[in-house]
Amino acid sequence: MGSNPASNHPISFKWITKAMEKGAKLICVDPRFTQSAAKAHIYAPLRSGTDIAFLGGMIKYILDNNLIQREYVVNYTNASFLVNPAFKMPGNNKGVFSGLKDGKYEKDTWSYQTDAEGVIKKDVTLKNPNCVFQLLKKHYSRYTPELVSKITGTPKEKLLEIYQVYGSTGKRDKAGVELYAMGWTQHTVGVQNIRTMCIIQLLLGNMGIAGGGVAAMRGESNVQGSTDHGLLFHIWPGYLGTPTASLKTFKDFNEKRTPKTKEKDSLNWWKNTPKYTASFLRSMYGTNVTLEEAYQLMPKLDDGGNYSWLTIFDEMYKGKFTGFFAWGMNPACSGAHSNKVRQALAKLDWMVNVNLFDNETGSFWRGPGMDPAKIKTEVFLLPCASSIEKEGSIANSGRLMQWRYKAVKPVGDSKPDGDIMSEIYLRVRELYLKAGGPLKEALTKLTWPYGKKVGHEFHYDPRTVAREINGFFLENKRLENPTKKGEFKEFKKGDLVPTFAWLQADGSTSSGCWIYCGSVNEKANLAMRRGTKDVTGLGLYPEWAWSWPVNRRIIYNGASVDPTGKPWNPQKAVIKWDGEKWTGDVPDGAGNPGSGRPPFIMKPDGVASIYGPGLADGPFPEHYEPVECPVEKNLLSPQKNNPAIKRFDARGVGSDLDVYSGVESCDPRFPFIGTTYRVSEHWQTGVLTRWCPWLAEMQPGMFVELSVELAKERGIANGDKCIVKSARGEVEATAIVTPRFKPFSIDGNTIHELGIPWHYGWITTADRKYENNDKKPEVNTFGDAANLLTSTIGDANTMIPESKAFMVNVTKKGGK
Amino acid sequence: MRRGLIKATSAYERFVHWLLAISCLLLCLTGLGMMFHSLNFISVIMGGMKAMKNIHNILGLVFGVSLVLAIVMWWREAGIFVLPEDWEWVKTAGGYLWHVDKVPEVGKYNPGQKMFFLTVALFGAVMFFTGIIMWFPLSFPVELVRWMYPLHALGFVIIFAFFFVHLYLGTIGSPGSLPAMLSGWVERAWLVKQHPKWLKEMEHEGKLEVYGEEKKPAADKENV
Amino acid sequence: MLQRREESKMAEKIKLYDDAKCTACRGCQLACKQWNGLKAGQTRNTGNYQNPPSLQPNTYMFIHFQDYVDEGGNVKWLFRKEACMHCTDAACVTVCPSGALYYNKEFKTVGLNREKCIGCKECMMACPFAVPCYDAATEKIYKCDMCESRISNGLDPACVKACPTGALKWGDKDAMLKTAADRVKELGGNAAIYGDKFVGGTHMMYVLKEKADVYEGIKKDPRVPFSVTLWKSWLKPLSLLAAGGVIAGSFLHYVIHGPKRPDPEDNNIPNEKAEGGK
Repeated sequence: MGSNPASNHPISFKWITKAMEKGAKLICVDPRFTQSAAKAHIYAPLRSGTDIAFLGGMIKYILDNNLIQREYVVNYTNASFLVNPAFKMPGNNKGVFSGLKDGKYEKDTWSYQTDAEGVIKKDVTLKNPNCVFQLLKKHYSRYTPELVSKITGTPKEKLLEIYQVYGSTGKRDKAGVELYAMGWTQHTVGVQNIRTMCIIQLLLGNMGIAGGGVAAMRGESNVQGSTDHGLLFHIWPGYLGTPTASLKTFKDFNEKRTPKTKEKDSLNWWKNTPKYTASFLRSMYGTNVTLEEAYQLMPKLDDGGNYSWLTIFDEMYKGKFTGFFAWGMNPACSGAHSNKVRQALAKLDWMVNVNLFDNETGSFWRGPGMDPAKIKTEVFLLPCASSIEKEGSIANSGRLMQWRYKAVKPVGDSKPDGDIMSEIYLRVRELYLKAGGPLKEALTKLTWPYGKKVGHEFHYDPRTVAREINGFFLENKRLENPTKKGEFKEFKKGDLVPTFAWLQADGSTSSGCWIYCGSVNEKANLAMRRGTKDVTGLGLYPEWAWSWPVNRRIIYNGASVDPTGKPWNPQKAVIKWDGEKWTGDVPDGAGNPGSGRPPFIMKPDGVASIYGPGLADGPFPEHYEPVECPVEKNLLSPQKNNPAIKRFDARGVGSDLDVYSGVESCDPRFPFIGTTYRVSEHWQTGVLTRWCPWLAEMQPGMFVELSVELAKERGIANGDKCIVKSARGEVEATAIVTPRFKPFSIDGNTIHELGIPWHYGWITTADRKYENNDKKPEVNTFGDAANLLTSTIGDANTMIPESKAFMVNVTKKGGK
Repeated sequence: MRRGLIKATSAYERFVHWLLAISCLLLCLTGLGMMFHSLNFISVIMGGMKAMKNIHNILGLVFGVSLVLAIVMWWREAGIFVLPEDWEWVKTAGGYLWHVDKVPEVGKYNPGQKMFFLTVALFGAVMFFTGIIMWFPLSFPVELVRWMYPLHALGFVIIFAFFFVHLYLGTIGSPGSLPAMLSGWVERAWLVKQHPKWLKEMEHEGKLEVYGEEKKPAADKENV
Repeated sequence: MLQRREESKMAEKIKLYDDAKCTACRGCQLACKQWNGLKAGQTRNTGNYQNPPSLQPNTYMFIHFQDYVDEGGNVKWLFRKEACMHCTDAACVTVCPSGALYYNKEFKTVGLNREKCIGCKECMMACPFAVPCYDAATEKIYKCDMCESRISNGLDPACVKACPTGALKWGDKDAMLKTAADRVKELGGNAAIYGDKFVGGTHMMYVLKEKADVYEGIKKDPRVPFSVTLWKSWLKPLSLLAAGGVIAGSFLHYVIHGPKRPDPEDNNIPNEKAEGGK
């Protein structure tokens, strides 16, 4: 649900197929009957944007039919925690939680009840009306199958069938896993979609066990690596939060960001935060400056500031940027509301486009509707090497860091990104040293031991970087073993740190990303391993590459055993106590049997959150309609949309280009739900795949899949050229009329949905202008970006655009 | 050439015959080279299998043209059975299979020869048209094309059988016949044996040409 | 153990395609193009993911995408890998004049030596599955050869190697037949093997979850065309008989009956001799 792995993660489907060969049942819930649905045992249609309704109904079913794994729920989740009695929920608070003010939640009423010592009050019988469990039950009591069916368009029998099948995994000898992707994240309730599933998995005891979990099917092979290493604005590598301006000193920062807990048995692993922040600062500046100075040199976020994608391009459109590095990306096609992005690029003085080929971003100035004479942006195209032309690692959905080798030399003058970045850095540094300037020391004091100059060129060495990411000692140190009291170890300056347990807060260690500490030792870079032993028989393969943290394969596997240390399912035990130690997977969170340590050690209270007050839009997921939606009201409550999202349609927030339809009420100009998705043959905006003739031959152009009924209504025959249009833009597409899309019956109304792939762009089409030096595709593709249609409304927590549900119209080209 | 030989065929007749015969022979040769893998070696002197196919195709056109010329030239004399004499001749197998005192006299071409002509005309045409379709199979429905191959093969079987008999009887099986198609001048005795009625007709119509002698006028004119 | 495996590397083998496991990721279609160095052609979407739309000189295999609604009203999306079926009784091998198409002795697959191909297109007419494709530019035939260079070196065909789900398998004939039979039992319903009962058995075999005739473009009752049998099995031997018979007959006639000789006296012109007869 929320993904289509058969199409978009074909290798993952190898393992799904194996699971099915062993008797696993595959359930597929999707607005469209996809390639995954074609392999599934059960398929159910679902209107885009109504996943929480669907899953909320499942929660109700699980609770009503007592399918929970009770011992797990009581001991390993916050189901027993008592919540502030002043806490109000959407059911009797006009569709919102208590504390909503000006589009933001003040969370005072979301707090827990604590005793005099500050320890959270609990009711392990789960009967207290203010305990999380009862609040959960009350909240989802409104999600009856009848109402859910009306909202989602899923037939009631299908809902119950799926609830029953999936709910059966609550038994101790059963497990269920959920695979999600952009189908869940690209909504204004994206994070809450995933949260709802987490709640279900916790109720069923499916987290931390073999065959369980909530698995993110990443959109790129190394996006896991990109978040691990802090490429997003709000985190430093290792998921440390970026400091905000109000945290004036390093001490303040550590103080504020290190979670504390009064739960005496909770390990609260994030209490080690100062060790990781210190080690990270050392990896940036070494001993060139003190820790405090290093902290001062690091950039800070404005308090409450948001620097995510939608904001960046909004600011860019408003002329706030001089320059832009489009590094390995194609915003002119990948950005929601591509027209706004393309116009925004025209406001820049300069842009550096680092990519393998020319693309719609680098050449935005000569794209459709652009007048080069009126655009001042100077564009530099730096050709870079592809992943097979250089060495390095990628991290996949399983947190596996896998080493990759250079197979061929980069073509022509293209260079690995590391080389390019290093060259740019070194020259900027030189300029600073010569001429000074603002933030000089932030750059000149950086250490840059990442390779060496060969002739004129700097050659970045990923193996050196891997060592720095792992971390090493900056001075000689004698330390007590954090896991064996009384045992001491001597380290010399330059020694690699064995695991992050040895990292220090005093600046004596350096580590580029604490979660990768342990990935490199003196003998080997463990990411290079290819061992295929599988001792547990669970498919963990502990000697294949290396996974963070500390090569643990299933995180929170401490939850796979009961509080006395016995596996819930001895046939599929992830960890087993042999009398002295845990065997099997690297144990996570499990104290010695009977220690009483709750296994979710990254949570301050040690238990998993069924109730999640940390999110911006509510501690329990609630169904809200997509901002552009086909219904007049939310059948669940008077609150139509997520109240905590940033409204670019509000006055003074967005721009003149941020137009929407179907927000307050349905817009007859755009009566159908539009959604976007992928095909196996292309990747992302097709910026690489459209140039590959074999791939372009298989999927040569933009298409729109729509139901037989809608096609008939619009007079569209299979293969006809159509125009798909939203309030923001339009694309031409070939119609694929198919019974795999069916109209939804939403509260008695027929609502149509159609879908388009987002892989296309004008640069490989036949009808664009090619200059003499332009690369010409061997096989032309047809059509421009799907994102010309999508809207600039993002999730309340992550600001991911709602590309999976917006309102469109479709007409036959040349027709009415 | 010596005195006394009688003209049996014109240069044109011989040209058409040999054009037809040689193209047919080469078609058989190249065709056999494609029909039996054990005979693929024939392609060596043809310049390869592909060249052999091309030669076969082009020769097919030559064959077609010469077949038309042959039919136009001979259909009246060799393509029409004259009764009752042709049937009488057939009943004696022309004297070829058992001793016959007197073989019934038939016109210029005996029924055996007529059968051969008709066979070549008919099956030659079949070979030509099936060949054309086999040459451009993509221009015709596949169900039709599939039957062209066995038909072409059948045509070959039949033509070859008749051809070999023709070869035998045109050479050692009937001494004196060969010059008819080489120099065009034959022995009178041969005419007497093989085509007595034709000889009489030629003498009668004044068409007899004897080498070294002047053409005699038509017999009936003489008797005026 | 090792030796047996080595020996079995050269045994008769089958490529088994299990449509229920196929996700139509088309890794196979691309691997085939890559291994065989085939060029891509300009295509356009005509209302289907399927592209190129059919087998071509530069497309040895492709995946069918078919929307299907069964009798129960259930929507399905059927996928089918179409390529040379590598028949045991291969009509194409039977008709090929130059021997360009041949049976691989170890694996019993149908190989193609394009150097020998003369472009006569007889194979195209003979193939019950309409597989061979002709390229007018090179005047030659193109089709899947079961990656002969790979299988002869103990490797799997490229498509099999690329397949992530095991929808494609390559193995000894008996083992694959057993796998297919077990799979049919496991699937139940209308599932059946396609390819074991005609043309002597195919070396590209399917396990199909739905009834075979539901799959668009599939040949429902493929067989070696009767015209091919008539020609190759009957007429060809007959031709040898006929030729031999005629030659022998002529020889016998010459030695037994003797040639028809003219009488030399008839070279003179006595009038009574012109009456004919001896």
